[in-house]
Amino acid sequence: MKTTILTSAAMIALTTAAANAQLIFEPGEDDRFNWASYEEFAASHTGMDGQSLQVFGPWLGGDKDLFESVIPYFEEATGIEVEYNGSDSFEQQIVIDSEAGSPPDVAVFPQPGLAADLAAKGSLKPLADDTAAWLAENYAAGEDWAKLVTFAGPDGEEKVYGFPYKADVKSLVWYVPENFEDAGYEVPESYEDLKALTEQIVEDGETPWCIGLGSGGATGWPATDWVEDLMLRMNPPEDYDAWVTNELPFNDPEIVAVIDEFGWFAKNDDFVAGGAGAVSSTDFRDSPKGLFDYPPACYMHRQASFIPTFFPDGMEAGVDGDFFYFPASAEVDLGQPVLGGGTTFSVLTDNEAAMAFIDFLRTPIAHEVWMAQKGFITPHNGVDPEIYGDDTLKRMGQILLDATTFRFDGSDLMPGAIGAGAFWTGMVDFVGGQSAQEAADAIQGTWDTLK
Amino acid sequence: MELLLLAVGTIAAGVLGCVAWFWGSNWVLDTILPPRGENAGDNIRRASMIRPWLFLGPAILFLGVYLVYPVVNSFWLSLKNAPSTQFVGADNYLWLVGDSKFRESMVNNFFWLLVVPALSTLFGLIAAQLTDRIRWGNIGKSLIFMPMAISFVGAGVIWKLIYEYREAGEEQIGLLNAFVQWIGGEPQTWLTIQPWNNFFLMIVLVWIQTGFAMVILSAALRGIPEETIEAAVLDGANPWQIFFKIKVPQIMGTIAVVWTTITITVLKVFDIVFVMTNGQWGTQVLANLMYDWMFRGSPDYGRGSAIAIVLMVLVLPIMIWNIRNVRKEMR
Repeated sequence: MKTTILTSAAMIALTTAAANAQLIFEPGEDDRFNWASYEEFAASHTGMDGQSLQVFGPWLGGDKDLFESVIPYFEEATGIEVEYNGSDSFEQQIVIDSEAGSPPDVAVFPQPGLAADLAAKGSLKPLADDTAAWLAENYAAGEDWAKLVTFAGPDGEEKVYGFPYKADVKSLVWYVPENFEDAGYEVPESYEDLKALTEQIVEDGETPWCIGLGSGGATGWPATDWVEDLMLRMNPPEDYDAWVTNELPFNDPEIVAVIDEFGWFAKNDDFVAGGAGAVSSTDFRDSPKGLFDYPPACYMHRQASFIPTFFPDGMEAGVDGDFFYFPASAEVDLGQPVLGGGTTFSVLTDNEAAMAFIDFLRTPIAHEVWMAQKGFITPHNGVDPEIYGDDTLKRMGQILLDATTFRFDGSDLMPGAIGAGAFWTGMVDFVGGQSAQEAADAIQGTWDTLK
Repeated sequence: MELLLLAVGTIAAGVLGCVAWFWGSNWVLDTILPPRGENAGDNIRRASMIRPWLFLGPAILFLGVYLVYPVVNSFWLSLKNAPSTQFVGADNYLWLVGDSKFRESMVNNFFWLLVVPALSTLFGLIAAQLTDRIRWGNIGKSLIFMPMAISFVGAGVIWKLIYEYREAGEEQIGLLNAFVQWIGGEPQTWLTIQPWNNFFLMIVLVWIQTGFAMVILSAALRGIPEETIEAAVLDGANPWQIFFKIKVPQIMGTIAVVWTTITITVLKVFDIVFVMTNGQWGTQVLANLMYDWMFRGSPDYGRGSAIAIVLMVLVLPIMIWNIRNVRKEMR
């Protein structure tokens, strides 16, 4: 009986806490925030009191808490109540839920490919007609972002079905500034410099790179990021798009050359810590640790913005381990391409509140609240970069804003059997000794059978 | 507490359900065809024809729902496209024939079949014979049998650590490389050396299954009548002759059962490969390939089911032979 009373007391405490969810930054207080956008949004979305809205996404743990710190601003402004649920098997669950006819109002897709599948089946609602124009105007490399979320609907007509929010930058090379200083190396300005630096480090008797492709069942994916990044540095973005849709076959000489370029780094015993043989068996989570060894096992590590999570204990991103932009070629003029990932919001029901939520995501304040904390970068150019919670995030955000070309992780755009299968396996086989041509032929072979 | 109540409730419902079914169905049958009155003889005859089916009924129903229906449905799915929306005939099977990963899986499965049951049975037989002779035999037996208690996934994780690789000169956390480095060799990335990595994976299953083979064979060895061995001793047979010419022929049936049982386990091997390499570096096997197509990326139910059907067709003859052998043993 006593426990029951205690539990219900706790329950009451919890529910009241949820009801008066705190706005972690008091509106109007910190003038770096764009409070005008918040007031304006509130003024234009009145009379929605008491409505409610379900959001379903892949975020759990820290990301869930952070997202739930953004939601109260929307609730406060509109009077709509939002319930967010996260799942680590989001990809399966969203398909099941929408096929069963009980979808959430809004879903947060980590892969646009999956959203495109659902759009084709008619499970997604098209967003406001001006979304593409809005993205083009307000996001850095905005037309690329707009194209990313434009899918064919059930009738085959192309419309914008998603709203990109929260991005990742993948074109990063991590290094230890102290080691670079000690050895007298400079951060390379161009792709050619990067290769020269690689050779320089070998000449000095050291090992330039740590590369690890191991990831349990997903072993091989880090190599796909490498290939995608190199693709953007060697070929125009149009070719990248054609490659992702297989208009440009995987075993086209252009792609084979890119794979070989990756081999230049990964298949040379002198270039990688542990030798080429260790590349595919080293876990990607262990791989960056070599940077911090004494003497350093390697000087550079190419990986996305999330990797500091796997730095050894006590190593801080931006201080002990820093990053630079994976440089673009000085010889081939392709601008500043950036490879990235990110999440996309889509509406699945005819709920008026859901569309209001998408409107909310346009306001700078929806980005700034998360930015000011951690783990969030945005291509929105209406926000003040000074708000970023730390300097590292700010510089990542800058890379995104400086991008002349932005391309989404290609393997996430390819059909699942390729992007989460044959491509990985092919890269593991390639590093394990197959030629680039053989690996590319095998991947194209699988793709052919999918048509 | 809730769980306990639920468990007790389930058991009670199960037992009462069985009793109710037995009693109720008999009562219904006896009411419809009463064993008295003018048609008593006919009724009894008819009732006794129906009665076995009444008792078998629930079993047949559950077998149908949980075994036959899934098989038929898998076959049906294997004739359809990825989201099962369109009938594609034999397309998925034709794709299988041409797929290089499928061929790789077939070759690997073949070697698994060749190596694992043979080695497990052989080691099991040796262990059974030796542990019966020595004083600490029971301790030895427990040690050999212990891996049986570990799940395949657990065993995979343990052995993955044994094969773990660190750069030469560094402290090796993998047992095997630590040993190699200690005797002055060069550490290897064992799990990526093709085609040997397949055999490094097989060792794991041999390690697990030897205990099983040992226990069954040890029991069989003890069941051999003493007289035959005494007669052989009197005739001057040496220990080798006794073992190979007297004992082994007498337990041949048991050896066959052990062999085929392990063979079936091997055909279904999935967990070990999934945990240790996930089929990369040329170690793909059928069950893992099926899982890949069924659940990874955008699911392809057609191809996954086609592989499942192939797997089932391969297991079936061995299964039938195994059941026949077990029955022969029991007679």
